Amino acid sequence: MGINIAMVCDFFHPGVGGVENHIYMLSANLIRSGHKVIAITHSHPPDRVGVRWLLPSLKVYYIPFPTIASSATLPNYFTFLPYLRTIVLREDIQLIHGHASLSSLAHEGILHAHLMGVRTVFTDHSLFGFDDAASILTNKLLEAALRNVDAAICVSHTGRENTVLRARIPPERVHVIPNALVAEQFRPSPVPPGGDTITVIVLSRLAYRKGIDLLVATAPRICARFPNVRFVIGGDGPKMIDLLQMREKYLLQDRIAILGPVRHSDVRNVLVQGSIYMNTSLTESFGIAILEAACAGLYVVSTRVGGVPEILPEDTISFANPDEDDVVRAMSEAIELVSAGKHDPLRAHERIKDFYDWKEVTKRTEAVYESVLESEPCDFWTRLQRTLDLGRFAGIIFAIILLVDCLFYMFLDWYLPEDELDMVEMHWEPEHFQEAVDEYEHSKKSETA
Amino acid sequence: MSKDEWEAEWERVLWKKKPYPDNYVPRSFLSSLSKNPNFKPYTYWQLVILSCSISQHLASIYVFLAVFMGLRQRLLDPRALVWISVGVFFTGYAIWEILERGRADSTVRTTNRAKTVKGSILVFLALMSLSPVLKTLTAATSSDSIWALSASLFILNALLADYTALRPQSHRRERLTSVLSMNAAISSSVVLASRLSDDISVFGLILFSVQTFALFPMLRRRIQDTAKPLQILVTILLCGLSIALTYPLSSTATYLYIACYTFVTFVAPGMLVWAQRFKNEIRGTWDPAVPKVYRRLSVSR
Repeated sequence: MGINIAMVCDFFHPGVGGVENHIYMLSANLIRSGHKVIAITHSHPPDRVGVRWLLPSLKVYYIPFPTIASSATLPNYFTFLPYLRTIVLREDIQLIHGHASLSSLAHEGILHAHLMGVRTVFTDHSLFGFDDAASILTNKLLEAALRNVDAAICVSHTGRENTVLRARIPPERVHVIPNALVAEQFRPSPVPPGGDTITVIVLSRLAYRKGIDLLVATAPRICARFPNVRFVIGGDGPKMIDLLQMREKYLLQDRIAILGPVRHSDVRNVLVQGSIYMNTSLTESFGIAILEAACAGLYVVSTRVGGVPEILPEDTISFANPDEDDVVRAMSEAIELVSAGKHDPLRAHERIKDFYDWKEVTKRTEAVYESVLESEPCDFWTRLQRTLDLGRFAGIIFAIILLVDCLFYMFLDWYLPEDELDMVEMHWEPEHFQEAVDEYEHSKKSETA
Repeated sequence: MSKDEWEAEWERVLWKKKPYPDNYVPRSFLSSLSKNPNFKPYTYWQLVILSCSISQHLASIYVFLAVFMGLRQRLLDPRALVWISVGVFFTGYAIWEILERGRADSTVRTTNRAKTVKGSILVFLALMSLSPVLKTLTAATSSDSIWALSASLFILNALLADYTALRPQSHRRERLTSVLSMNAAISSSVVLASRLSDDISVFGLILFSVQTFALFPMLRRRIQDTAKPLQILVTILLCGLSIALTYPLSSTATYLYIACYTFVTFVAPGMLVWAQRFKNEIRGTWDPAVPKVYRRLSVSR
């Protein structure tokens, strides 16, 4: 018997990015193993509104909330409840899975879940510092949201340490389940990029956190040192101007190709043009881009930050400190190694393709869901006590939010009683699908016979 | 499988299939966490010296207020104020030149000097021609509003002022806040000046305010970079001057000023030293790295 799961996150299709992709792939695989999954996100007016279906029967609710910045909605704690209550009750949801620590919809979903007797899981995808005003504020919001969560998932051991410190939750409640990739989508090209030219690929958002300053400082030095090296840089962002300036200043227009934004479906085709992948990120929770490049048979040079050292064996990736000279050193070694023909893309792909698998990730996530559903939910007083423990001021504020939320729920219960709601009936189940497939194949067989 | 076996199997990698559950907490959990790694505690007297610049700035505001009250109550002759301003200007400029000696090369200093002369004559003439206009600027506004406005502008000025030392080699542009701070003080003195009764008083007060709020902070920041005794001497002189000028006008204000100086110079540093015990800075592998780059094309972030 499958579980009815609601994925709640501000960041979802049609937005693109690591979180969006993760939610989609996880949902698709959960559906495949017999669960019912819906996704709840904010709408993208004018055309992405209402209820939509995504391919393997994933229903997406687009809630009409305006966004404030970079696709995040305003944390207002109550306005989501009327929508969420109706959706959860109609869809008979048993578990809410929130994603991303900057998504206020996910926080709200976790806050409201206990009112409907729904259990909660939260996945944190990113790393945050502790020493600036924005981090202090968002860490407090996260701590409040995760006070009463049943389980949390982080994508790397570094991410787990970070989340435990930020949200002050017991470490045994946090699970480490990595991201995954579809290895078939990142096959190296059957003909390795030949010739003397060595192409270095950089695919990244061009932002400060991705270490574009390091790229800007090292690319001309590498070009000067190795006349047979060219760069292909994909992505867009505020640092684009610096890159263009650098290319113009050192007259490297014929050796540095700047592609601009690259669609995720085109990533593989860009990757296989080169033989070295360079990543200069200053912080990275998991580094899926590195994994994709390594899987496509590229030799990876990366800065040693965050969770990157955990994702691949030491001998398939070479590390540099986030310092100009050391990046040049690591890149020079990589270029020499690749030009000596010591790196075989096909062998690297064969080795890496089995490390990560969505089926495995789904199985491990299911185990978390099951343990959460088996555990005893904590009662209201424990919740209130835990919330009050948040701090002298924050505790009271969030306790008031919790209480008002309960009153609001009581009002909604009176205004729109549960027995007046139309339940969603799914006429389409995996068994039906299998039956249809069998029938089709049977008819085909009898036709040929 | 026992916990010991899990512990032996545990590795900080994600790509291997492992026997332990996903929420297993290894013994090495949070081992890379470091607390207050580059923490240098402040000492009390070091902070007292650093607070001198704040006292100096406050003292200059108080002196200005005392001068304004003197003009308003006709205790101070505006002509004398103009001469004092000119005298202070030359003294200050001489000190600046002495401090500047040996720092910049002579050609730069000559051009700077020419610029200064031109600038000061322009300001002098512009203020003189503008003072009749400034006198009637706020004639339609009640005095109460003016006091409130100027008080808030002076508070803004003190909050936003740049209290860092001016390093000789740094030719970086002024920070936005310090420009705002100067503008707040000048606007405040303009509205105060508009309460005065004759043109020469208005001219004298505005001239004095340019000295106090535009030129003196530069000199103050330069003095901050020199020997500590000079800085302490300047602080004591300025605080003494402000108290001496204020006492005949109002004893309450004088006591308030003294309380203010004591708090800024002696109590506040003590509080900061005490508050350091709560410092808890955590660092670990999750922190964004700081890139080391030598030739930077831009500083955009």
